[in-house]
Amino acid sequence: MEKKYEKVLKVVDVWKSYEDLEVLKGISFELGEQEVKVIFGPSGSGKSTLLRCINMLSPPDKGEIFLSGQSLMASEVDLNAMRAKIGMVFQHFNLFAHLKAIDNVSIGLRRVKGLSKEEAHIKALEALRRVKMAEWANHYPAQLSGGQQQRVGIARALSMEPTLILFDEPTSALDPELIGEVLQVMLDIAKAGTTMVVVTHEMGFARAVASEMIFIDKGVIIERGTPKHFSTSPKSERVKHFLKQIDILYGRHEELLELPDEDD
Amino acid sequence: MILQELPELVDDILRVLGFWDQLLIGLAKTMWLYMWALLIGFFLGLLLAILRQYGGRVLSRISTGYIELMRGTPLLAQLFLFYFLPYSINSLLRAEGLPYIPIGGWAFYTTTEIFGRSLTFVFIDHITLIGILTLGLNSAAYQAEYFRGSIMSVGTGQLEAAQSLGMSRRKGIFHVILPQALRRVIPAWSNEAAYLPKYTVVVFYIGVTELFAKAHHIISETFLTLAAYIVVAVIFLVIITLISKGLDIVHKRTAIPGL
Repeated sequence: MEKKYEKVLKVVDVWKSYEDLEVLKGISFELGEQEVKVIFGPSGSGKSTLLRCINMLSPPDKGEIFLSGQSLMASEVDLNAMRAKIGMVFQHFNLFAHLKAIDNVSIGLRRVKGLSKEEAHIKALEALRRVKMAEWANHYPAQLSGGQQQRVGIARALSMEPTLILFDEPTSALDPELIGEVLQVMLDIAKAGTTMVVVTHEMGFARAVASEMIFIDKGVIIERGTPKHFSTSPKSERVKHFLKQIDILYGRHEELLELPDEDD
Repeated sequence: MILQELPELVDDILRVLGFWDQLLIGLAKTMWLYMWALLIGFFLGLLLAILRQYGGRVLSRISTGYIELMRGTPLLAQLFLFYFLPYSINSLLRAEGLPYIPIGGWAFYTTTEIFGRSLTFVFIDHITLIGILTLGLNSAAYQAEYFRGSIMSVGTGQLEAAQSLGMSRRKGIFHVILPQALRRVIPAWSNEAAYLPKYTVVVFYIGVTELFAKAHHIISETFLTLAAYIVVAVIFLVIITLISKGLDIVHKRTAIPGL
């Protein structure tokens, strides 16, 4: 009934395991319109799995996912139609290798939204312009740098005008000097009001746009709060340790990285 | 010794080439069998590969079973099976007093005259049909494995990206996976394309008069065994070289820029 107060995304007590390995152990959070949620945590903590549960690429074993009030776990739901409303940007870009940048962006508009070739082309070019890749429209993915490919990946998600976009470590496969251009595009679209869930360790990005940050380790939420909370007064030792490691990595700390013991 | 014999061999080859009308008809039949077998093998092989990869529990097992059965048994045995099966069924039907399947005695053919010689080309009769089907069903199993390999090499990330845009698996397979897999498969698939013309010779055993059968016919008339087989071998060599070169060109033309 109260549709306009409905959260864009509700994740309720999501559990997921692969065979014997429990990856997610009861994750819950909500996301309102135009909000940006940043999820971070050590590798193997279940962040990517969480995103894949949200768009049902790997459906949760237990729990509920609601997109604008509609359950994605319900048996009668058209998952393809729902996924069209959830954009996804991948760590390794996953651009369609046989298609030019423009066709990578327009293929969803044509094959899913049923737009004509001309309409799709116009919309795709507009999306490429938003990520400053219009000049490269006729290049194939293999002819683009990692940063350029990822911007096309973002344009591909944007062009579908989704309710929400998921970012799965969008900059972690990039050379350091290419990270900036991708983060800038993400900042732009976040400020333009795109609802986003971002898995990233880019604390600068998080501070600039995140409405809330969630720290996950071993499949559970350890701590959540505003970027300010995490930069000034994180409570858990696990989080403090993790943030220190990131600081060291980015050269903001005197100490050296603690490497795990070899027999670990 | 060999050098002294050579002029004689050249003469023999020229005599064999005197049967050019027979060789031409035989070659046409070989290429006809090849074309249909390759085509049937392509579409059925692609279907089998897709089912094996994406068909789920039951369909992928059926597809795997078919592929292993066809690859694991001799082509000649398959040919004889398909050839004799209708007769066996008929004798069963006859024993029950039921109407039986008409098998032979029909053909679609054309006759033309080239340089004063009359050439008859049989498009299809019951042995040609059995030959084409056997070769096609067999080739499908091999082609399926080439296709499966290239489908797997495209990677799951591509299909996930397609699905994340809201495409169904089927749309993802057709618009994203296959366009890439079919480009990648060409070098490996050209193996099958180059083997298949040579495999067509087995249909000689059920009486289809392709190139090899024509060679036998020429030998029975002239006793020029060596010369006749040399001519046939050279014809195959030329065909297969052309096929390989052609596919190389296709592979280069369809290459994805930057890859």
